[in-house]
Amino acid sequence: MDDRPHKAHRPSKTDKKGKGKEKQHGFNEKAFAPKSGRNADRQGRRNVERDQTRLHVPLVNRTPDSEPPPVIIAIVGPPGVGKTTLLKSLVRRYTKQTLNEVKGPVTVVSGKKRRLTFIECNNDLNSMIDIGKIADLVLLMIDGSYGFEMETFEFLNILQSHGFPKVIGILTHLDLIKKAATLKDTKKALKKRFWTEIYQGAKLFYLSGVLNGRYPDTEIMNLSRFIGVMKFRPLVFRNSHPYLLADRIEDLTPREQVRTSKGKCDRTVTVYGYVRGTNLRLGTKVHIPGVGDLDMKSVTILGDPCPLPDADSEKRRKLSEKKKLLIHAPMSDIGGVMYDKDAVWVNVPGSFTRGNTDVPQGEGEQMVMDLQDAGATLEDVVAQSQIRLFGSSSKHLTVGAPVEDDDDSDGYEDESGDEEEGSDSDSDEAGDDNDGDEDLAPHPQSTGRTSRRDVTRNLPIASTSKLQRANVEYAESDSDLGDEDEDEDMGKRFRMDDGDMVDLPTDEEDMMDVDEEDEDDDEAAPKWKSHLVAKAQAASSNSRRRKDWTKLIYSSQLTPEEVLAGKEEASVDEEEDDDDGEFFRFKNAPRQDEDEELDSSRTVWKEEDLTKWEDEELLDSIRGLFITGSAPADEEGGYEDEEDEDGDFEDLEAGDEAPKPDSEESKAASLAKKKEELKRKFDEQYDDPEASKADFYTEKKDEISRQLQLNNEEFKDVSAETRALVEGYRPGTYVRIELVDVPCEMIENFDPTYPIVVGGLLPAEERFGYVQVRIKRHRWFVKTLKTNDPLIFSLGWRRFQTVPIYSLDDHSIRMRMLKYTPEHMHCYATFYGPVSLPNTGFCAFNSLAADTPGFRVSATGVVLDIDRSVKIVKKLKLTGVPYKIFKNTAFVKDMFSSALEVAKFEGANVRTVSGIRGQVKKGLSKPDGAFRATFEDKVLMSDIIFLRAWYSIQPRKFYNPVTSLLLSEKSQWTGMRLTGQVRREQGIKTPLNVNSTYKKIQRPERRFNPLVIPKKLQAALPYASKPRIMKPQRHQTYMQKRAVVMEPEERKAVALLQQIRALRKDQVARRKEKKTEKKATHQKKVEKEEERKAEKVKERKKEVMRVTGKRSKREAEAEEGRGSKRRKT
Amino acid sequence: MAQTAGLIQFSGHQHFRHRLVLSILSGKPVRIDKIRSDDKNPGLRDFEISLLRLLEKVTNGTVIEISVTGTAILLKPGIIAGGALTHDCPLSRSVGYFLEPVVMLAPFAKKPLQLTVRGITTDEHDLSVDLLRTVTLPHLQLFGISDGLELRIKRRGASPGGGGEVQFLCPVVKQVKTLNFVEPGKIKRIRGISHAVRVNPQFSNRMIEAARSVLNRYIPDIYLYSDVYKGEESGKSPGYALSLLAESTTSALHCSEAVSQPGVAPEDIALQASRALLSEIKAGGCVDRQHQSLILLMMVLGSEDVGRCRMGEPTARTIQFLRDVHSFFGTSFKIVSAEPLDKECVQLLYSCYGIGYINANRTLA
Repeated sequence: MDDRPHKAHRPSKTDKKGKGKEKQHGFNEKAFAPKSGRNADRQGRRNVERDQTRLHVPLVNRTPDSEPPPVIIAIVGPPGVGKTTLLKSLVRRYTKQTLNEVKGPVTVVSGKKRRLTFIECNNDLNSMIDIGKIADLVLLMIDGSYGFEMETFEFLNILQSHGFPKVIGILTHLDLIKKAATLKDTKKALKKRFWTEIYQGAKLFYLSGVLNGRYPDTEIMNLSRFIGVMKFRPLVFRNSHPYLLADRIEDLTPREQVRTSKGKCDRTVTVYGYVRGTNLRLGTKVHIPGVGDLDMKSVTILGDPCPLPDADSEKRRKLSEKKKLLIHAPMSDIGGVMYDKDAVWVNVPGSFTRGNTDVPQGEGEQMVMDLQDAGATLEDVVAQSQIRLFGSSSKHLTVGAPVEDDDDSDGYEDESGDEEEGSDSDSDEAGDDNDGDEDLAPHPQSTGRTSRRDVTRNLPIASTSKLQRANVEYAESDSDLGDEDEDEDMGKRFRMDDGDMVDLPTDEEDMMDVDEEDEDDDEAAPKWKSHLVAKAQAASSNSRRRKDWTKLIYSSQLTPEEVLAGKEEASVDEEEDDDDGEFFRFKNAPRQDEDEELDSSRTVWKEEDLTKWEDEELLDSIRGLFITGSAPADEEGGYEDEEDEDGDFEDLEAGDEAPKPDSEESKAASLAKKKEELKRKFDEQYDDPEASKADFYTEKKDEISRQLQLNNEEFKDVSAETRALVEGYRPGTYVRIELVDVPCEMIENFDPTYPIVVGGLLPAEERFGYVQVRIKRHRWFVKTLKTNDPLIFSLGWRRFQTVPIYSLDDHSIRMRMLKYTPEHMHCYATFYGPVSLPNTGFCAFNSLAADTPGFRVSATGVVLDIDRSVKIVKKLKLTGVPYKIFKNTAFVKDMFSSALEVAKFEGANVRTVSGIRGQVKKGLSKPDGAFRATFEDKVLMSDIIFLRAWYSIQPRKFYNPVTSLLLSEKSQWTGMRLTGQVRREQGIKTPLNVNSTYKKIQRPERRFNPLVIPKKLQAALPYASKPRIMKPQRHQTYMQKRAVVMEPEERKAVALLQQIRALRKDQVARRKEKKTEKKATHQKKVEKEEERKAEKVKERKKEVMRVTGKRSKREAEAEEGRGSKRRKT
Repeated sequence: MAQTAGLIQFSGHQHFRHRLVLSILSGKPVRIDKIRSDDKNPGLRDFEISLLRLLEKVTNGTVIEISVTGTAILLKPGIIAGGALTHDCPLSRSVGYFLEPVVMLAPFAKKPLQLTVRGITTDEHDLSVDLLRTVTLPHLQLFGISDGLELRIKRRGASPGGGGEVQFLCPVVKQVKTLNFVEPGKIKRIRGISHAVRVNPQFSNRMIEAARSVLNRYIPDIYLYSDVYKGEESGKSPGYALSLLAESTTSALHCSEAVSQPGVAPEDIALQASRALLSEIKAGGCVDRQHQSLILLMMVLGSEDVGRCRMGEPTARTIQFLRDVHSFFGTSFKIVSAEPLDKECVQLLYSCYGIGYINANRTLA
């Protein structure tokens, strides 16, 4: 194409002014107008249809738009295809850093609104499953010189069953194909195959050779641009589960405990990562695939280690160069600091001299040096610090004074926290809990980072000490609007982040606390006395200081009655002085009459509550609550008439009824709101009402966006702790999850190349039960699946082995067991295991081992039903034989063994093999288990009678999680084996049942006796019915007796005929001979031909073997170069 | 076994019903001990046993272990099965006691529930079947549980003889809708049902007259139905009652009820009911006090969005309910004054983030 000479330029014939043809501006309607009505119709229809195909079911995206978690980009492919090279190239493209060694996820900032987490997937099927469940985008790498491999297809099938994320194919090693034509063909063929797997037009990239250990920059840039603009549609499963890809893991178990138990104790482990999916809540369980279900002890929000550019840099259109350098990969070796499971490694390049300031020091070195610099002990630091316990305190604390322990540590931290950033950087309450532990075993930093970045800090709210917090007003759940001082004193503090009430005060404290509250009320009492009349009218709506209900309900130990009474008491008997004895009595009173109280939701009205309604004034006072009544507030009288006419705006007005007269602003605001509402109503009515009504799709979308906005706004003004308590940890926050009772093997056999996914479980998913699924054997899986053979499921977050029973719906009457899965057809399977929500997809495997030949995905399907019992039946045929036969009745034996059994089957249908139907009537006494049965016809003694029954079976309660992450050889997990497998491995012969051996069936010939009719009966028969039996003829016939003498003429004729026949015979014989001769020559010819063909085939085979040998040799060479194992497929 | 993990412990016989309901919904086993351990007659009462039997019928795979003394029970919940069921209630409590927890469970069953309950339909302790029908079920409709939701009163049965029969039909939902109900509106209509069984049918008319004398001043749109049952359908004991219901422009419902007492005139019963209704209206909010916990439960079970509802102050039951919800589901509510500017306002705005409870029991296809 390129080397063809270009056509010479020909200037346009029209003059430059363009008088001849007016240049078109904008959309030329005529150009696209249909020529005929029919075309117009067709075009219109097509447009409408096309518009419809664009629409998707509106799905709520739980990932926030403002601060989304990084997009997970998984790089998947067979070993040696160039995954690490691609990852390094991409990281280099985004951060200008070269990674030496990639382990675990690498997070980078790619744009103003987007961060990316790259993770490389190794060739283990377990990793592929886990990655497939969390990846937002998969870069599927394919060796162009080799083609698709089995793992690629397996991975695609895994993706398909767990919600298909976006996939970009990447062809590498294209430089190995030298011939241009072959390259073109290969590309075409691979693309075609790829498209059939993903969808027509799926994106496929070609990466040519490797330069400086990286792919060419231009190609990587193109790829990164594609990644940058990629849009993601929420996947249903991920949109209903919280999850986290751990980019760091740390063992918090006290070293001493580990030592004493020789490393076998259950560990306390923290994992770090961005919350994704939905909100993560405390109190729910999490599942780490490969480890098991674990409990979260605490969740802490940490400062974002890889933050998005903030507002100041927002003005720029592009990402600033400095921001580009952000990279967060704690498990990889970046900036000389690497986090391992229980240590931090600081790499010091070359020689290191302390105080050598002219050499730039890495972050890790600086950190260690800072630690060494700390000369003073804790005591000294406290002594020197100037901490004031409260904002209002005049003097700071002195060491001599009895300082509370809590404040002590906080104070220390407050001063030195900035540089130190050490083990207790998470200086909230949870951190304090672990202080003791952490002193024993000094732990590395709690936030991962790189040398290029500022020191990460916790969120200001989380890290501010209690002292500062005391000043926060109202918004905090544990602040009681002025009572804080007392609260702090008492140490009464509800631990929000722990989720349970750990730090609640003792009873004594509690009482004192309430006591003080009471005092507060009493101070307010005189004001009350002045409005006694008003109070009597509105007993319930007293205008005293508002209660903090959230705190009263969730963080106090008061009984519900006390919570309510705390207020009532103040209003009813306010003249009573604060008397401890009285107070105690009151508290205990409800406990005594507890038993009388009924568990009833009906309100019990007291007599005085009802009798007060006899008062006319009171009756009139609630007129405003009815549509006929006028508004109670005077200042709104002006609007009233208009509203009453309209009748539409009561709700509005009821919302802001009786605003305080002094708050002018609020009045104005309400007025503005009202006007707005009016305007909207008018617009709606004035405009075409039909036009304003959006279609279903937009309506749903609006609804979703409205709800999301409400979600965002509702808890905006609440402190982070309370917010976490109420709504959990939102997606996009970087958290540290503390997990308890983690098997020690997870830590001991930790390998950063295997992804650690922390998947949140819904309450239903923590349970076990019988799961019914619709299943289909994969068409590429060679064997059929057998009932009660173990199968490994990847369902929800979990991977587990269980034994399914296959079944089919038999005419909607029963679930009938199938011994094997049907070919090319769905069937049901029922197994015992952890529950998953109906409609969850799964895939199943017979074996996860890498050495399994063939395709490993054995089945795919979807969950249909969850239950605690199953009803699957299999057919059971009971057989018996008649031992006495009457007309239509027969006595049958050998079917049952006792009369009781017969009694159970009375009335059951039976049948003979020949198809005569009958019924079990009644048991017989003599042979045990014999019964009388009636049939529609007479049965024979030789007939076998059978009864078709259904026997119900239960799936075995076998659940075996695939604990691959706990193994040192992670791909070597073996589950339950089949009996045959065990026998084969142990060298045991299969026991043979003699009765089951196949023998030649010998059936004796049946002889039927001739029918004999007695003479007497024959005589009595009518003539027509008489048997007509004729004897053979004994005498010779007339013709037999005579001899034949021919005439001479006749003899001649006969002789002639004989001669002719002889001639004919000879002719036929000769012809036959000729034919055989011909055949033989043809045979020879064919043989020759075949020989030639065989030679050709041989040659071709030789050629193929030669090529294969060459390739394997090349591979072996490449392997040596890469130092990695390549599976021979 | 994994099922015994996460056991939640309570003590005392109070709040028995909602603890069982929460346990079944959340799937977490619950252990309740010290049930009337200090009482002269310790242990579970017959109605509580009957409730446990009913829950066992409604669910599949539930394991209930009661201690020898009857003062402690352990409930390992199964799945909510639903289907056609019949239950005979003891005469110590009315059917309202049994239906309230079932109403909370039934939308999340495997099959639509058709429960026939026999016993006392109206008594002074629990919500009567009239209120369940006219108030509780419309509250479920706020959450998208509407098609096929029905309570049929086949027979009335007054205390102490009982003999009533109601049928409760409830559809199955996948997920309840998120509630956003902050406009209480104004009362636009008042409805009521006054019924009298095995007494002079004139009694119900007398009650209507008396109730109108109080309520007529507010609103003209008052319809009080007189519902008289005769013969077989009227149960075994005489009795009469008036249940009232006020509906606002935003269809917020407030209700009240009064049941016949010996020696009290029907007029006084009617006055009690109507005054209770006025008190309920005065307390305000979008939901009346007797249905707070139902609404709050459904809000918790909603999709993972913020649900809001304006209500009056929580009752003691509601407070305990909120605490129990926290221990079962880990969800807590943000409770603030409905109008922070208005010091007089006693109404509260309850908002919570739903847990996204999806009916896992429901069968697909």
